[in-house]
Amino acid sequence: MFISKLKQALICLKAGRVTLAYPYKPSPPPEGFRGKVKVDIDKCIGCAGCANVCPPGAIEVTDFDEGWRRIQFHLTRCISCGRCEEVCPEEAVKLTDEFELSTNTKEDLTVTIEVYMDTCQRCTRCFKPKHPLDKMMVTGFRQ
Amino acid sequence: MFSILEKCFKKSIWVYHTNASACNGCDIEIINALTPFYDAERFGIKLVGSPRHADALLVTGAVSRQVCPRLKTLYKSVPEPKLVFAIGSCATGGGIWFDSYNLVGGVDKVIPVNFYIPGCPPRPEAILFGVAVALGLVDKKVVAEYLKEKGFPELVHERPVAESLWAK
Amino acid sequence: MLTAKQIIETLRTRFDKQILGAEEKVSNQVFVRVVPDALIPVICFLNQCFSPRFLINAGTDVVQQDGKYVVSYIFSFDSEKIFLCIQVGLDSADPDIESITPIIAGANWSERETRDLVGISAKNHPDPRRLILADDWPEGVYPLRKDFPYDYRPPSEPQNKVPLKKPPEGTKVIPIGPFYPVLEEPAYFKLFVDGETIVDCDYRGFYSHRGIEKYGDSKLTYNQICFIAERICGICGFIHSTCYCEAVERAAGIEVPLRARYIRTIMLELERIHSHLLWLGIAAHIIGFDTLLMQSWRIREPVMWLCEKISGNRKTYGMNLIGGVRRDIPAEIHDEIVRVIEKIERETVEVIDAVVGDTSLHARLKNVGILKEAVARSICTVGPTVRGSGISIDSRVDHPYAAYKFVDFEVAVETGCDIWARTLVRLKETIEAVKIIKRCLLEMPDGPIMGEVMEEIPSGREAICCVEAPRGEAIHYVLTGQDNRPYRWRVRAPTYANLQCVPYIIKGERIADVPIIIGSLDPCYSCTERMAVVDVKTGQQKIYTKEEIIKR
Repeated sequence: MFISKLKQALICLKAGRVTLAYPYKPSPPPEGFRGKVKVDIDKCIGCAGCANVCPPGAIEVTDFDEGWRRIQFHLTRCISCGRCEEVCPEEAVKLTDEFELSTNTKEDLTVTIEVYMDTCQRCTRCFKPKHPLDKMMVTGFRQ
Repeated sequence: MFSILEKCFKKSIWVYHTNASACNGCDIEIINALTPFYDAERFGIKLVGSPRHADALLVTGAVSRQVCPRLKTLYKSVPEPKLVFAIGSCATGGGIWFDSYNLVGGVDKVIPVNFYIPGCPPRPEAILFGVAVALGLVDKKVVAEYLKEKGFPELVHERPVAESLWAK
Repeated sequence: MLTAKQIIETLRTRFDKQILGAEEKVSNQVFVRVVPDALIPVICFLNQCFSPRFLINAGTDVVQQDGKYVVSYIFSFDSEKIFLCIQVGLDSADPDIESITPIIAGANWSERETRDLVGISAKNHPDPRRLILADDWPEGVYPLRKDFPYDYRPPSEPQNKVPLKKPPEGTKVIPIGPFYPVLEEPAYFKLFVDGETIVDCDYRGFYSHRGIEKYGDSKLTYNQICFIAERICGICGFIHSTCYCEAVERAAGIEVPLRARYIRTIMLELERIHSHLLWLGIAAHIIGFDTLLMQSWRIREPVMWLCEKISGNRKTYGMNLIGGVRRDIPAEIHDEIVRVIEKIERETVEVIDAVVGDTSLHARLKNVGILKEAVARSICTVGPTVRGSGISIDSRVDHPYAAYKFVDFEVAVETGCDIWARTLVRLKETIEAVKIIKRCLLEMPDGPIMGEVMEEIPSGREAICCVEAPRGEAIHYVLTGQDNRPYRWRVRAPTYANLQCVPYIIKGERIADVPIIIGSLDPCYSCTERMAVVDVKTGQQKIYTKEEIIKR
């Protein structure tokens, strides 16, 4: 019994102090970490493919009859699964390594983008980006 | 609000953790925050056994129908001044089950929440950061982002064409 | 060795007209449809001749298509590696069926659940109370029926509160719950005590019912369900997601590439290591040994960092999709994985060595919470709980999935039947997991990580998958449907089967041992640390803290 207690004490002493110095020193997550969502407005074509795949339905898409489409990412509900990043055809949605997201107001936890699109003549829903050729100047011609 | 908190909570706060129908992921990360690598106890934060001894309530999980009245009783039994933290995506906004038939969908629909710590589950560092923001040790980092394509006519009347396909 | 064809032949010869159809839809999975009157005779016959193990039952609403409700009873033939599913079709006007609980005690909760969620009552059930739904849920409203929308919240009816058992003569009542100080899932135990010894107990749980199966039926598509399956449990999330993906892949006939299978095996074993070390810490905390809590969680932390590096998140890896995995484990990480798990193995062996001779732990854990083999078999418990009682059941060997049929390993079995035996089983499994990971890393072939899913998954196919979680086996049953989502998805977590044995292992024990007994089942945390003792006669209340209970 005493030998067991001695062995346990030895394990503790050998381990020593292992505490990380967070929050006084930053503790960056490894590469490939799935954190906060970031959208590149120049690449987004407003296809809403991300909203279609999102499991918790955290992406809200609203069409306005003047040709604007507003895509809102609600980070309160986001589970950082990365499906939106995987599915985006233009690689506009990326998951950064930001994880320090605590706040006292929920309105801080949204990412809103507005994209100007052409509307359908019958139902006035937005369906294609205004200038597809302009978009190609940003992303480049693909082989 | 912040000034009262600064005066009352300059020293260590004692927390009571409760799980209101969560998957246990966030709960383990809270316990992880007390283990040697992250060690919340060096700030004087400790888990207490009774809500009546606590200064802050850590709630995880989207609240279910069965737990809802008990959570209200729990909130009343924590003495003033108190802080409520909603930890994880389920507690902040209902998470992946915000509209299920048996869930209320987020802690702030039942009791008033002071701080939100989103993530699924949030890292122990994120939880420590959240408590540090609440205590006024660091400033919060996240802000709402708003991006808009330039060079097109402005949106004047906000008339949505159809109901938003993805409900809030 | 019995084959699937022989089972079908035997049933057909014995029951002839009463069998409406029997086929092996998926390899080693037999689905037999019988008339409702033949259910009890078939089950009695199976028990006599083959004694299969009952797993779960699932109620499905096919009223819109066939005008029926179908109840599927799933059995497992462990040594023959076969699943048998007996399906009964019930008329929608009168969906009642004979209860099988008098024959198989482990079907108690399954039948109550089917009644709560689908509305199929089991006649002659010994305990037909409400199990799952909230106390204020109205009667007659069944969530899993197809005419119930997934987001409809019916108005509150508080008079439906579930009545708990009355205390026997001469005993006092000790309520435990629903909120405990040390973690966890809210649950309510009502103990009836005579002095210090426990006479009986009752349980009101399912405070965390989130309506997952309804989400699977109605709102989410096949690929989205992988993520919700991961959040069924925060500790063994990858198990549920793998089990669901394998069930759909078996039903639809999708071929998963070999490399993806090995990657799934590696992540499953990493999850097993972290879960067992977590349990060790929590169990030590319950008996007051905080040093072991801190040390075992210190040893466990590098696994979490490793998983963060591989998958992007410490838990809820999000790596599974139908047909394969999303992220690869490139060769550069292999060395680091081996280094981390070898260090964990060394440190775990040190801890085992230091703890195994500790007589104060022996006094608390030996001969406490005894689960006899006969009781375990009749209630159909699973996992380390039952492997500590000498029964060798392990889904990795009985129904191989992922890459387990290519990997040899030992199943840890102890015969002590007490908490100490279960502790040793879990520690041995941790060491075995390290060996399995090293083997997989050596043998992992090159190739694609995602299988080709060329066409839409056809509807009407069903399959069962069973995966060994750290707590026991998790079972998923999937019936594919139209519109890119399943028609029915049934989940049974291991703790569901294990919690039913609590009344049997608590009887005759002392109050102070209740937290660690419940903790030894590893019910996705145990946490009965705070109790309120109500003296029924004088109405006085005394609150015991953890220290006082331990001193007693």
